[in-house]
Amino acid sequence: MYDRIFAGALLLLSGLIAWAAAQFDVPFQYEPLGPKAFPYILSALLAVAAVWLMIRPSADDWKPTKEVVLRLGGALVLMYGYAFIYEPLGFIIATAIVGGVFSWLFGEKPIKAGVYALVMSVMSFFLLTDLLQLNVPVGTVFGG
Amino acid sequence: MEVLSALATGFSVAFTPLNLFLVLFGCFTGTLIGSLPGIGPINGVAILLPLAYSIGLPPESALILLAGVYYGAEYGGRISSILLNVPGDAGAIMTTLDGYPMSKRGEGGRALAISAVSSFAGSMGALLMMVIMAPLLSELAIRFGPTEYVMLMVFAFTCLATMVGSRPIKTLIGTLIGLVLATVGVDSGTGVLRFTMDIPNFFDGVDFLVVVIGVFAISEVLVLLEQWVNNDLKVTPVGKSFVTFADIVKVRWVILRATVIGFFIGVLPGTGASIASAVAYGTEKRMAEGDSDEFGKGDIRGLAAPEAANNASAAGAMVPMLTLGIPGSGTTAILLGALLMFNITPGPLLFEQKPEIAWGLIASMFLGNIALLVLNLPLIGVFVRLLSIRQSYLIPVIVMLTFVGIYSIHGDSFDLFFMVILGIFGFILRKLHFSLAPVILGLVLGEVLEENLRRSLSMSGGDWSILLSGNITIGLAIASVLALVLPFLLKRIKGKGRTAQLQAELDD
Repeated sequence: MYDRIFAGALLLLSGLIAWAAAQFDVPFQYEPLGPKAFPYILSALLAVAAVWLMIRPSADDWKPTKEVVLRLGGALVLMYGYAFIYEPLGFIIATAIVGGVFSWLFGEKPIKAGVYALVMSVMSFFLLTDLLQLNVPVGTVFGG
Repeated sequence: MEVLSALATGFSVAFTPLNLFLVLFGCFTGTLIGSLPGIGPINGVAILLPLAYSIGLPPESALILLAGVYYGAEYGGRISSILLNVPGDAGAIMTTLDGYPMSKRGEGGRALAISAVSSFAGSMGALLMMVIMAPLLSELAIRFGPTEYVMLMVFAFTCLATMVGSRPIKTLIGTLIGLVLATVGVDSGTGVLRFTMDIPNFFDGVDFLVVVIGVFAISEVLVLLEQWVNNDLKVTPVGKSFVTFADIVKVRWVILRATVIGFFIGVLPGTGASIASAVAYGTEKRMAEGDSDEFGKGDIRGLAAPEAANNASAAGAMVPMLTLGIPGSGTTAILLGALLMFNITPGPLLFEQKPEIAWGLIASMFLGNIALLVLNLPLIGVFVRLLSIRQSYLIPVIVMLTFVGIYSIHGDSFDLFFMVILGIFGFILRKLHFSLAPVILGLVLGEVLEENLRRSLSMSGGDWSILLSGNITIGLAIASVLALVLPFLLKRIKGKGRTAQLQAELDD
């Protein structure tokens, strides 16, 4: 069933590709193929492959428990949140918060996880900025 | 003799203090990453790539570092396979079959030492073959025009589809997704914007690094989280046993055969360590007929074969990557992407125009393998202790490194969001048993494929038959058809072997 849903999405995608490629406004072109042909070919192949997969899908063997789904959802929210606060709050605070929750998600006790994440993020910050001279955000809320 | 002087150039590059340090550092980090359960070579290279790029290393140094991580991780992967029965990646699955039983009966030290020696011999043998083959292949490749490249890529994708992953159709779809991603951005021929959805960040195309890290590293974190169970894995003790001279004498031909098998499977486009080690293991088991009862119960031959083969294939996979610009495996696809980011297009001219990159890399691999043998025999205890690092300490560091790496490229949070979305996509693909390597291969090769296709048809004025007009193209077309048909025929004749099945189940 999962395979069929996925194949359906692919079929939709292949249609979108062909439609979008047809809309390309090509003012000039020196060669016979141009920018549209390759997407058309890909779209056609993708459509055939998707139909094939729809006719002969594999069995569903992903049966996560409720807890696993919750955990995965938590991790996604966390990573999305990390992307959201990374620049404004800066590397140290964002990493300490997100790293701590991740450590907790992987079974560490809350206080230990928090202390670990804080130490890790502060140490990494100086390692990354001073030693490797990478572009690590200080945090725009602090005027960085 | 020309080869020797070229190799000398290579060693002069590899012996500069910076590069020497990077080889050692890369090998050490690679072993470390490979030995951590669940994190294989491909993730190691993916996570370190943006960092190597942003630090501003010169291209040959960055490549030396990343390659060191790659084959270092092939060494490190055996530690968790042997002591924990947890392979770090698909290439290490075969190592668990005989390695883990050995460590269970108290011969962990012997198993680790045998696999270190086999890995070393496999790498060195493959490197020698590489030194001979690479210039020959690049001489052949000089005669390649756009049509030959198109057919070569068709051949590569066919090999990939029939030999990698659970089902050919899924590998094909993965490749197509990669190719579609590659078309996003401004078209180099006409300046038309394609599939950018009016998002400025996509005008330059989808960033290769964001895709690699998202699809591999982020989805890996999700997979680890899903598999996580609240009990610590038991590390079997290493013990005092060690490899004896008699052991090495016993497996010398096994290692030699496995090295040759591994190298050539590595050279084939699209097929990497997982297939090489499976084929080598199967071959040895068949060769040992009448005496093969011990296979799977801790036979040193069953340990030496896959170990030599997977390291040999790691070197072999570099050959088409450097000479043709067609990667032999998922990890070399990432290395190829790294070269493209530095505006270096690998291909037949690389050996002549940029010898410091091609030969410097090869020379550094000789040094790296010697370093790895030293790291892995006396210092093995250090890495074994790393196995007991808890995931609750490891995962936050991995997540942090992916974010730091991606943000350091453009300094734009957009990339971070896009990376997480791609991570979800990668996770879904893995759950549906799509391999991820084809996506990366498609992404890396998409632009080259389209460009060469368009150039071919410009030459012929739109006549598609030009794709089958030369000897080389026809040869490649026949090879593609064979690659498509042969596996099905073999399967029908022999029935599905156990190794093939194992491979299919775990190769995602």
